Amino acid sequence: MKKNQKIAIYILILTAIVIILSALEFVDQWKSDFIVAGSGVTRMAKLSDYYPELRGKYCDTDIYFLESNEPGGTVFVLGGTHPNEPSGMLSVVLLIENAVVTKGRMIVIQQANLSGYSHNDPQEGSPRKIHFNTPYGRREFRYGSRATNPIHQWPDPDIYINQFGQSLSGSETRNLNRGYPGDPEGNYTEKICYGILEVIKKEECDLSIDLHEASPEYPVINAIVAHERAIDLASIAVLDLQMEDLDYNLEISPPSFRGLTHREWGDYSDTMAILMESANASQGRIRGRTDEALVLTGKDKMYVKAAELGRLYVPYDEKGHPIEERVGRHLTAIGVLVENMSLLFPDETVEYYGIPSYQELLQYGYGNYLQPVK
Amino acid sequence: MLSIELLYFVVMVGVFAVSCFRFKLPVGVAMALSAISGCLVAGFGIPIRHLVEGGLNYLNTILVISTAMIFMKVVQYNGMMDTVTRWLIEKYYSKPALLIIGLSFIVVFPGMITGSSTAAVLTGGVLVSPVLIYIGFPKEITAAVVAMAAVFGEAAPPVNVNALIIGGGIDLPYIGFTLPLLLLTIPLIIFTSLFLGKKYLKVFNYEKIKDDLPTSYLSDFGIWLFLPIIILFILMIRETFLPKLFPTLGMPIYFLISALVGLFSGKKFNFLKIAQEAVHDALPVLGILVGVGMFIQVMTLTGVRGYIVINCLSLPAYLLYLGIAVSIPAFGAVSAYGSASVLGVPFALALLESNPVITVAALSQLSALGDLVPPTALAGIFAAQVVGEKNYFKVLKYCLIPAVITAAWSIVVIIFANTLAKILL
Repeated sequence: MKKNQKIAIYILILTAIVIILSALEFVDQWKSDFIVAGSGVTRMAKLSDYYPELRGKYCDTDIYFLESNEPGGTVFVLGGTHPNEPSGMLSVVLLIENAVVTKGRMIVIQQANLSGYSHNDPQEGSPRKIHFNTPYGRREFRYGSRATNPIHQWPDPDIYINQFGQSLSGSETRNLNRGYPGDPEGNYTEKICYGILEVIKKEECDLSIDLHEASPEYPVINAIVAHERAIDLASIAVLDLQMEDLDYNLEISPPSFRGLTHREWGDYSDTMAILMESANASQGRIRGRTDEALVLTGKDKMYVKAAELGRLYVPYDEKGHPIEERVGRHLTAIGVLVENMSLLFPDETVEYYGIPSYQELLQYGYGNYLQPVK
Repeated sequence: MLSIELLYFVVMVGVFAVSCFRFKLPVGVAMALSAISGCLVAGFGIPIRHLVEGGLNYLNTILVISTAMIFMKVVQYNGMMDTVTRWLIEKYYSKPALLIIGLSFIVVFPGMITGSSTAAVLTGGVLVSPVLIYIGFPKEITAAVVAMAAVFGEAAPPVNVNALIIGGGIDLPYIGFTLPLLLLTIPLIIFTSLFLGKKYLKVFNYEKIKDDLPTSYLSDFGIWLFLPIIILFILMIRETFLPKLFPTLGMPIYFLISALVGLFSGKKFNFLKIAQEAVHDALPVLGILVGVGMFIQVMTLTGVRGYIVINCLSLPAYLLYLGIAVSIPAFGAVSAYGSASVLGVPFALALLESNPVITVAALSQLSALGDLVPPTALAGIFAAQVVGEKNYFKVLKYCLIPAVITAAWSIVVIIFANTLAKILL
């Protein structure tokens, strides 16, 4: 055998090994996360129950109902629109595993873009999983991509022209928070959007909250973005949150920026639409070493330096912004919004208990509030 | 700012340089080795998933380039390019200045539609290069004209992918960009064409070359000869202007469909043979793209990317504009689109006091310049390949002055963003 033929064979063997080893990791990312339905969960549904075309597809995510016997309002909480913004999903997981609703009801989805959890963004160096120690052992959740997996929706157009004729970068065609109100004839992501909006419409949700995170250099951060109809409620909530030493910026949903939850949920349904952002270094462009610790602690020397330079929109020091703080902010803000909705609209009252406070989360850690996996 | 990330970066660059220049390994392989060295020194071992994930980031670009190269060969072999070259020279030889500006716009146009300088070079560039060479332009200058026009095409409206990427990063809708982008590109297209061509336009003598012009096959095949390029433009324009007509098939399919049409629209040729030739020619660049993907992934993983970004943002105010003008195109050595995302977004956020539409437009033009910076240099390397010049640095030499002027023009636009906004928006 000639030398070059031998080299070719070695390269082919090496390639096969690389393919097998990497494929094992990629396929492992497709496996579902385990969520424990707590005692407050009264029933479950699938997104395809609201838009049957999604049945059997990877994106057919779970919907959890937490209902009381007392009439009241309906609150919808969405996590996991962007799977690289983990505090949204983790907040909803705590609602599913701990909350008990005593008046009205809550409908929650923990992983809105399930497809996005099945892969990571190339060139972002993201960890695949995040882990928590609980009193019952170790739990893990996937850390995913901002966008739908290309194996579910491909190819991207050069530019994405959304349903309002606005041009966006081609990859935004797989961004769940650019595809609302959704389109039953549209692409995979727009169909998911359509399904989610159907949930809001068919269940007549009074208040709908979409949970996000933002990079610390992004101006809309530690913020509540509200549709016009939700602005009074959000204003009061921001004041109440300040009383609890939680600063929030209040933003009105820009009418010209289309396709986002806070705009289209409000425009295409009767719900009061709100989006919330916490500070996540692991999705920012200034971040240093990217690993699970960064996702969970937010500790990052590059961001500390950026804060010194005045380049950030949130305070940043060596303590970082741990996941407990970010989840705690979301859960506290949800509680304050729901409470004020009940005051402003007594017929739409929703009451629930079982959720740890902001201080408890900081003190005891996120894993302490996860339920045992049976 | 000294930091452990600086050590990682030095190791990565060092391994790249040694692999490339000492051991003469292909650039793509050198970048892959450099990425692996970064992982090892930062304590990540050899994270195969990260290397594969990063390496596959440019899968779509790789498919576009492969199929575009096949398309380019098809229009060479079916006789269309010879015919176009002859027709353009015979028609416009009396107005050489107008001719070269017009030829530049032929290169710019596909870039305007796709937002890709590579597509511009491999479609428009393929058409105009022989014309310039017949006029008397040296190969290197022909490639420089094409590369610069392709870069302007990438930035020109209606489709500017870099602006879309930066705008997406700061939640800025892609509205109102047309006039700022025209201001950033049109004057420079005219200037660059005349600057690079002035010497050769003066000595252009039609009588001398008219007997050596390539054969026209128009009488043999008529309009059918142009069918591949017509189909390609229809498919490209359809995606931009009638996106709902049918689902996106992607640029690779458009190039392949158009290439297959070429089989039946002119001179006969062996399609399999030229397809093989095309992919063979493209392989070094495809290898670079895979290596670049791994390199960026590891830069991000190890914190080197953040280190570079924070150091750019740390520049004092008086150096900030210089930093923008240098760092954004320089990062194009890795990837122009990557530069828009990695540096363009933080700089856009740092410049929020200026009108964001104008600043993002200017930053996008600077990002497009990155397609001239080696080793990736997609616009430059393909332009060199189109004219048959093996040493890209000979081409780059002629791009330098227009590129510096382009960067300076972009910075002027950023400085006067608020004033320009009052006029343009």
